[in-house]
Amino acid sequence: MKKGFDLKKLRLSDLVPFIAFVVLLVFFAVATGGKMFSSYSLQKLIEQSILTIIAASGVLFVVAQGSIDLTVGVNVALSGVVGLHVAQVTGIGWLMIPVSLAVGLLMGLLNGVIVAKCHVPSFTLSIAMLIGVRGIVNYIQTIVGVEYVPASMTFITASGVRIAAFFVLLLVMIYIFEFTRVGRYSRAIGENETTARFVGIPVDKMKILVFALSGLMAGFGSVFSIAAVGGTTQTMGSFLEMQVAMAIFFGGVLVTGGSSAKFYKVILGSLSITIIVYGLSLMGMSESHISQSVEGILLLLILFITILTNRQKKLKTEHKEEA
Amino acid sequence: MSGEVILEIKGLNKHFGPTYANKNVDLKLRRGEVRGLIGENGSGKSTLLSQIAGLYRPDSGEMLVKGEPYAPHSPIDANRHGISMVMQELGVVGNLPAGVNVFLGRTGQFAKGGVVDLNALNKAAAAQFAKWDLPMPPLNQLTDGMMIETRKMIELARALSIDPDILLLDEVTQSLSLNNRDKLYALIRRFKEMDRAVVVITHDIEEMIRITDTITVLRDGEVVGEVRSAETTLDEIRMMMVGRQVSGEYYRADMTPTYSDEVVLRVKDLSVPHELEDISFEVHAGEILGFCGLSDAGIHSIGKAVYGLSKPSKGTVHMVPTDTDIHSAPQALANFMGYVPKDRDNEALMIHANIRDNSVLPSVEELKGKAGLLAPRKLSRMAEGIRERFSVKTTGVGQTMNALSGGNKQKVNLGRWLAKDLKLLILDCPTRGVDVGVKANIYALMKEAKKDNIATILISDELTEVLGMADRLLVMKDGRITKEIRRDEDFTEQSVIGEMI
Repeated sequence: MKKGFDLKKLRLSDLVPFIAFVVLLVFFAVATGGKMFSSYSLQKLIEQSILTIIAASGVLFVVAQGSIDLTVGVNVALSGVVGLHVAQVTGIGWLMIPVSLAVGLLMGLLNGVIVAKCHVPSFTLSIAMLIGVRGIVNYIQTIVGVEYVPASMTFITASGVRIAAFFVLLLVMIYIFEFTRVGRYSRAIGENETTARFVGIPVDKMKILVFALSGLMAGFGSVFSIAAVGGTTQTMGSFLEMQVAMAIFFGGVLVTGGSSAKFYKVILGSLSITIIVYGLSLMGMSESHISQSVEGILLLLILFITILTNRQKKLKTEHKEEA
Repeated sequence: MSGEVILEIKGLNKHFGPTYANKNVDLKLRRGEVRGLIGENGSGKSTLLSQIAGLYRPDSGEMLVKGEPYAPHSPIDANRHGISMVMQELGVVGNLPAGVNVFLGRTGQFAKGGVVDLNALNKAAAAQFAKWDLPMPPLNQLTDGMMIETRKMIELARALSIDPDILLLDEVTQSLSLNNRDKLYALIRRFKEMDRAVVVITHDIEEMIRITDTITVLRDGEVVGEVRSAETTLDEIRMMMVGRQVSGEYYRADMTPTYSDEVVLRVKDLSVPHELEDISFEVHAGEILGFCGLSDAGIHSIGKAVYGLSKPSKGTVHMVPTDTDIHSAPQALANFMGYVPKDRDNEALMIHANIRDNSVLPSVEELKGKAGLLAPRKLSRMAEGIRERFSVKTTGVGQTMNALSGGNKQKVNLGRWLAKDLKLLILDCPTRGVDVGVKANIYALMKEAKKDNIATILISDELTEVLGMADRLLVMKDGRITKEIRRDEDFTEQSVIGEMI
């Protein structure tokens, strides 16, 4: 992909996610007494990070544009619950997949239209949706209850199938983000929305498109989530949006998006977050309150580093412009 | 001067790298005529003479001598056709004696059994000096250490020794003292009486008017005018040489609007609330249409509105070649328009992104391959192309934009549009905050775009710039167009300012 890898061109801010990843890996390897590197643990790690990476690969487009999509968690819940219910009611098992995807896509589309056409800040919209849709999901679940993967579809619960599907999806998303117009225009919008408009990039269309894409990935996420657990749960997708946001920002993508948005950062960030969560549970700190406070503290730390490196960059820029 | 045409040049072109040294030069030289070639440094005078003298080969175009096709492959070949030249840079060989220098490359005629007979050679050389009434140098002495004036005389004798029909003199007088200048003038007069022709280059305009019959003025490699010496003035020549103003030597020099009849853009009754009112105009292929006005006249809104970035309350922006009404910027982009907005850092460029990303941004659609693939190699190649063609000074296309100087940023900004296949280019203050060199560069690019039949809308706060470049000028006041002035009309600062207030 990249020929002539030039060390001089690497910036400190690009190295932070690598360093963090390695530090975390070493720390938990030592702290868990090597349990972290057993083949069982590694497989577990990959499986646990699948949902995060899938959801984050859609949100990355939104973040690249300088926006945020915090609805992926509830979207996973909604599309999963609806998809599985339709499959159960109709008796056609495979329907769960297209219905989940369609629900996810539609919700993303709705987000996109509101952000692009009504000029609602994505953060505000996300929070409103987060609360509102979670209410709807809870309501649906009180009626339909917990449902299980239809018998005809149980093959998707096999981890081999899931991992294979994951890699295919991952490659497609990497391609779209790094090598197509959609990714390039999204980064341009994050760099400078005015410039993007003035050049003639269809900014509104691109905004709607990436929110829809993010929704679609949430739809995929719901299928992976159901496949991993075997059915819907009450807490399906909860806090996923935070995990995704952490993965993206931990990976070194700036909140402002633009050129800082790179796909490898999402993968690194997702793995790091998973290592933290899984590592803590291996150390016997599985109680969610401890692991959550550690996650919170880490996120704060990342934001600090991000802001600091950003400020340095800005200062450098100003110096150059003076000179 | 009404004599038969002895030398005819048609559509001569000569490039050195990306710059034109001669561009579409046409010239007719008659028997008995003394022609002056004048222009600023780098205007292509010497290049033109060198091609006639067989030193350079033209890239295209043709030359006829006495009605016969003429394509000299060397100065000697030119000599055979009766053409010789005295060059601006000293053209004698220092470690050869003066006499040998006169017959340089032609000493074979004095050879006897493989040995050059120097006595015979010197005799012949002396005959040349006598024949043309030139002061004779010591013929056996090496030319090294001789005065410039003397060496020039040797060169002159050499040029005359072939008994040329056409004598080309490139800056000869500047190295001569007064009495020898008179000898040179006498020589030129004699050529005229002999019904031969002389082409003279000199920077002394007064001298040129005095000694020539006709004067051809060159600018940026092109012939911008031809005048009769008897009817012209120093000021006229100077104005033709430098363009409108001495300060703006990079502007156009011609004073006639030149563009095709083909309408590229038709704007009709365009109104944007609080910005523009009932704007109607047309831009033609190869035309530079200028817009000027005071700060709140609305000239900057024109660019935005045409590029589909405003919300007009009424009116149409019609792109004629594609027969499309433009309602949005993406549409403008797809319909072969380009827009260079005024605020380079905030509206045009992504200053924290690298040169590559900035360069390819308007061309993403064209760069798309199968399955929407934007191959990194393709993108880099395009960015490299822009960097080279517009000589952007940078360490590489991976460098961030804000590391560049204003002028180099603007080169990327303009270059990425000119790298495309455009029909209409909108420039809003394209030379804002760039140094003189880059300014000249940008004007040259505008001229090139004009040659390529691109229609240009030039919006500028600098009146001299619009006057220097535009074919037509639209003056705006309070969001309306109040006056149209053509280049061949009252195209002066005073008249335009009068309209603006």
